[in-house]
Amino acid sequence: MAEPTAFGTWAAEHRGPLSVDDDFTVLDDPFEQQAFTTQTEKEGTLQAQSTLVVQGMYCAACADAVTAAIAKAPGVLTVDVSAATRRVTVTWDPMRTRVSTWARAVGDTGYRLLPAADAHTLTERMREGRSALLRLFIAGFCTMQVMMYAWPDYVAAPGEIPPDIAKLLRLASFVLTLPVLFLAASTFFKAAWRDAKLGRIGMDTPVSVGIIVAFASSTAATFYPTGSWGSEVWFDSLTMFIFFLLAGRYWELKARDRTAGALDAIMHRLPQAVLVRAADGREQLISARRLVVDDTVIVATGQALPADGIALDDDVTLDESLLTGESRPVHHVTGDGLIAGSLNVGGPFRLRVTQVGRDTRFAAIVSLMERASTEKPRLAQLADRIASPFLIVVFLLAIGAGLVWWRIEPQQALSVAVAVLIVTCPCALSLATPTAMLATAGRLAKGGVLVRRLQALETLAKVDTVVFDKTGTLTHDQLHVAQAVSSPALPTARAWALAGALAKVSAHPASQAIVKQSDPVVHPALSAREDHTGRGVSGRDAEGQLWHLGSWSFATANAPSVSSVAEAPWAGPQVYLVCQSDATQWARFDLNETLRPDAAHTLRALQAAGLSLALVSGDQNAAVTAVADRLNESDLPTAPEPLRWLRVQAGASPQEKLACMQQWQASGRVVAMVGDGVNDAPVLAQADVSFTLGQAAALVQNRADYVIQSGQLAEIVAMRTAARATMRVVKQNLVWALCYNVMAVPLAMLGWLPPWAAGLGMALSSLVVVVNATRLSGDGLAHTAKL
Amino acid sequence: MDILFLLVSISVLLVLAIMAVFGWAVYNGQLDHLDREGERILHDD
Repeated sequence: MAEPTAFGTWAAEHRGPLSVDDDFTVLDDPFEQQAFTTQTEKEGTLQAQSTLVVQGMYCAACADAVTAAIAKAPGVLTVDVSAATRRVTVTWDPMRTRVSTWARAVGDTGYRLLPAADAHTLTERMREGRSALLRLFIAGFCTMQVMMYAWPDYVAAPGEIPPDIAKLLRLASFVLTLPVLFLAASTFFKAAWRDAKLGRIGMDTPVSVGIIVAFASSTAATFYPTGSWGSEVWFDSLTMFIFFLLAGRYWELKARDRTAGALDAIMHRLPQAVLVRAADGREQLISARRLVVDDTVIVATGQALPADGIALDDDVTLDESLLTGESRPVHHVTGDGLIAGSLNVGGPFRLRVTQVGRDTRFAAIVSLMERASTEKPRLAQLADRIASPFLIVVFLLAIGAGLVWWRIEPQQALSVAVAVLIVTCPCALSLATPTAMLATAGRLAKGGVLVRRLQALETLAKVDTVVFDKTGTLTHDQLHVAQAVSSPALPTARAWALAGALAKVSAHPASQAIVKQSDPVVHPALSAREDHTGRGVSGRDAEGQLWHLGSWSFATANAPSVSSVAEAPWAGPQVYLVCQSDATQWARFDLNETLRPDAAHTLRALQAAGLSLALVSGDQNAAVTAVADRLNESDLPTAPEPLRWLRVQAGASPQEKLACMQQWQASGRVVAMVGDGVNDAPVLAQADVSFTLGQAAALVQNRADYVIQSGQLAEIVAMRTAARATMRVVKQNLVWALCYNVMAVPLAMLGWLPPWAAGLGMALSSLVVVVNATRLSGDGLAHTAKL
Repeated sequence: MDILFLLVSISVLLVLAIMAVFGWAVYNGQLDHLDREGERILHDD
């Protein structure tokens, strides 16, 4: 495969307009709206301001199209689109227009509006950014000026400057240091005060103490030069190191915002809309989050059940692969208990809600992401634990060095003490792990992989065994027809045409497979097509003959004399087409589960990397061995190395899967699990690292560490590479942080580091850590498999 | 060298004034989306 060129990558990202056929009425639901809209009263009228994410927009020109589309709607007051953050903020009049109106207008243009999860935190972040910028400017500008005033003192010979001019310069330095101290450095003081109230010594404490000591002595030296504080002023060093520290913090803030922005981009989805029938028969489309127990929901064909409930109609056909791992539809009648997340493959039916599961996918992802960014990985916790006693040691060293120098040369004492306080940087130690992991998490998020636990990056780097589930993981949910056999009386082409025409009315996966593989042009016209959900489809052709397409029993319902040649063993679903009035015309379609195209490649790559592979599935033996065999097939000219499985197990119950995993872990293996579905949840939790391919409502009950939203198994290989690179960077950072402190503190104690150099060193040390971590968020990591 | 008294005092006041102006610029949102400034030329109006 050719290496992706820069242009190719850009072109691939610049996807252009989408086809948007969403009905955005769910965004008008006030419950949903308040998540991304604020209402204010302006000049007596009510105004609403909404922030939404624009999907499909990648440049400024697209921004124009979106702006034009929204502005056309009457009642829209202002539109502000940002191509960089892909967000639009619209001020509109709730009396004259609705969100869905202009959302649909944008949809017609080819871009999709989605509610912004962080609509309310965006203002917070902007405020933080603004104040950080102002502080940085104040510190920098005053530093420059104070350095100018200090310059004569450095270059003049002693006595060359008249004393009143000298005093003037010092006074001017003092005046300009005040804004730096009270406006710019206030963050350090606030943080140190917060820590002091909690009885802790935090990272800003030595910095604050150093600043205060330096300022106090310099002020005393300015106004009482003959006093005991000495006559040295440090205003230039003081402002300089405050500037360096703030510069480092500003960079970190920007880097964190970029990472958070990348994670945000995955979080936006349209909330699930459900049709609810009220007691008086009125039907209303509301957001799934507003469901309560005893609501009557009308579940449409193809919709996932939004909650647990009881069927109120007969003839319910569901795909319960979430629960059983099998995508064969299950038939239910009135009174049966149904599970949230099952897919309705039959006709619409009514459901009485008995339990509202956890919130929709959207809220689940939000909480996943929030948890990932706040949960501290093990190494980071370790670093934090070291940081606190380290700081106490630093204080003692500073006082000790100061006292020692007081004996030797009192002039230096203060400068040495301040230098020791400033130069140490436990912040580098604390930043080492989180910056690297967050950078990787952000980069993975851009590629569509959600990282739920940052700690999982460390574990992933150490994994030596990977266990795969079969259905839905190595295979797609869809079936495909492997072969079609028909009787001599029925030409195969006609069999396909009839089957395709019949199957169109059914939502069964087998029917969908047949429809996909038949040519719609040759479909004959059929009358009286009827979908007998769960069993098959029937219809009459132009000659009036009745055809049945479906299971063996349904197909031979009126034609029991179909010859037994028709039946043949097959390790997958089978569908029969039989003419009810002429038993000699029959056809059989043997269906296979579709393997994911990158499954074999991924397995081979993992094997080549030295990992052991296992396949554990709840499905029957024939199906599992069939899949394992097909994974070994390849149409490459040179046969690749066969897959060596550690274990291939079929018919495993969840308990058996769990026991298997525990056995491996007890023998010292670090096990990763790739699966999906509720029945895998306990096994996913037991595994050291868990992956799931994010699809449909399964996400709600997902406990996996990584969610691969694109469904590409090949991402696993890339993720392992990323995890190993992350751990390498983390180790580099930790080594740097330790070495820096070990070197810098003695230097400061020996008096070789003037305070300004100490400030520079401190800022640089944490900058080095942050910059090293940002290496992980670029495209330096080769994306090994992108199929 | 007495002129320094005037010059240094003026410079201090000037610095304070410049910082005030920058503060106004930041809180007025002028520096919020620096990356979009380059794109403004592409807008129709």
